[in-house]
Amino acid sequence: MLAAVFRGAGDIDVVELPDPVPGPGEVLLQVKACGICGSDVGAYKTGMYEPGIVIGHEIAAEVLEVGPGVEGWAPGDRATVNGVIPCGRCYFCRHGRPSLCEEVLMPGVNMNGGMATRMKAPAGALHHIPESVDDHAACLIDPLANVLHGIRRSRFKPGDRALVLGGGPIGLLTVQCLKLAGARAVYLSEPSPPRRRAGGSVGADAVFDPLAENLYIRLDELTEGEGVDFVFECAGVPATLKEAPMLVRKGGQVVILGICEEPVESDFMTVVLNEVEILGSYCGPEEYPAAITYLARGQVNPQSVISHVIPLEDLVSKGFEALAAPMPEPLKVVVEMPAR
Amino acid sequence: MRFGSWEYLVEVQRRTNADEKYRELAKDEHDSYTLVLEPEPAKGVERRIVVGFRVDGGEISEIWEGERPTDFTLSGPYGVWVDILVGRLGANAAFVMRKLKIRGNFLKLLKGADSTQRWLEILRTIPTEFEGVYARDNLPGREA
Repeated sequence: MLAAVFRGAGDIDVVELPDPVPGPGEVLLQVKACGICGSDVGAYKTGMYEPGIVIGHEIAAEVLEVGPGVEGWAPGDRATVNGVIPCGRCYFCRHGRPSLCEEVLMPGVNMNGGMATRMKAPAGALHHIPESVDDHAACLIDPLANVLHGIRRSRFKPGDRALVLGGGPIGLLTVQCLKLAGARAVYLSEPSPPRRRAGGSVGADAVFDPLAENLYIRLDELTEGEGVDFVFECAGVPATLKEAPMLVRKGGQVVILGICEEPVESDFMTVVLNEVEILGSYCGPEEYPAAITYLARGQVNPQSVISHVIPLEDLVSKGFEALAAPMPEPLKVVVEMPAR
Repeated sequence: MRFGSWEYLVEVQRRTNADEKYRELAKDEHDSYTLVLEPEPAKGVERRIVVGFRVDGGEISEIWEGERPTDFTLSGPYGVWVDILVGRLGANAAFVMRKLKIRGNFLKLLKGADSTQRWLEILRTIPTEFEGVYARDNLPGREA
């Protein structure tokens, strides 16, 4: 099989590897397409994944072969693989927090993933992809599940107002989900002009350029001085993380979905005086079914997020290099796997 | 000079940068500020005033009218700004009592209390005309 192997920071190779063989309870998949996640790009910049791993956890695939003891799956079934495979035994699994599992397996992070023509996965980690969700859209199931997890963990309720910081795929999906969830208004702040345009197209009520506009003044105007109830930090960069607690109204909640690999200086005095809540949210293993339903019903528009579809051979040049740029042009890049 | 006008800002910059004591107190400050003076139509203040400036090592290096992204944004009713300027309300008290909305590193702002106090003393030397009912508080000004 062909596979994209992570070697270290700035080093990903597409190489020939032996086909995996499914063991008991496992399934062999023919991967059709795989999205490049922001955390993959982060690893490409910083080297935070395990060297030697096959990357990729936003997977659209078809079952090729089932191992002994697998039920409910047959060759030809379309499937995606949950990005979090919890142990089911640790304290957090037993308390309903699989995204905090202490023995977690994560395809493309600490076990071989789906940026390859083939992969094997535990059958229990698979979800059926319905007919109405094409292979490209199926690559959004994982990031959409992440977003839904963050919103579900928050105190958000219909009628609330939110500011989304960062107009990448996670930010754009957050805008769409908050609107679907009944937000009174959702605003987006994003420095890149194409991403701001995308924000408008997915329904943001106002879109700001933080490099040219004073967000505090804009938000005061739009909310008649009340401020936004929520800030969803989806950029994962120090500047937005630092600013988020100051942008939310007093008593509001900051939900952090972006992963920042750098230390961030923050003003905790404002957090205390304004009784701001800060909430982290990681992955969304339990939200995969809901994400699939949203996509199947057409409630989330995949075309608004997927900007580029590239072949595997262009993974580094047109995928990682383009996404690692300081103000990247692509939004979600989906990689199509060759049929072999 | 009309409070918040361009002419006023220019004079603020001139007098601030001529003040040795302020320069010393603010020598480590490198921050930009937006000040928003909210209208109070019932009191004869009809329009919002938004001005900005940047402090670099004890000098005001740049002034502007209108909005920009800045390190700090301080906003409040026109009358609160008048109260602070004429000395009826301390700046830090205004921050802590939420008379002003503060956006920016709150602790950093409070730590700059001495330079803020000196700056207000400088501003009080500028002949200043206020809008509406606040004209009663006009400052005659004097040479710094």
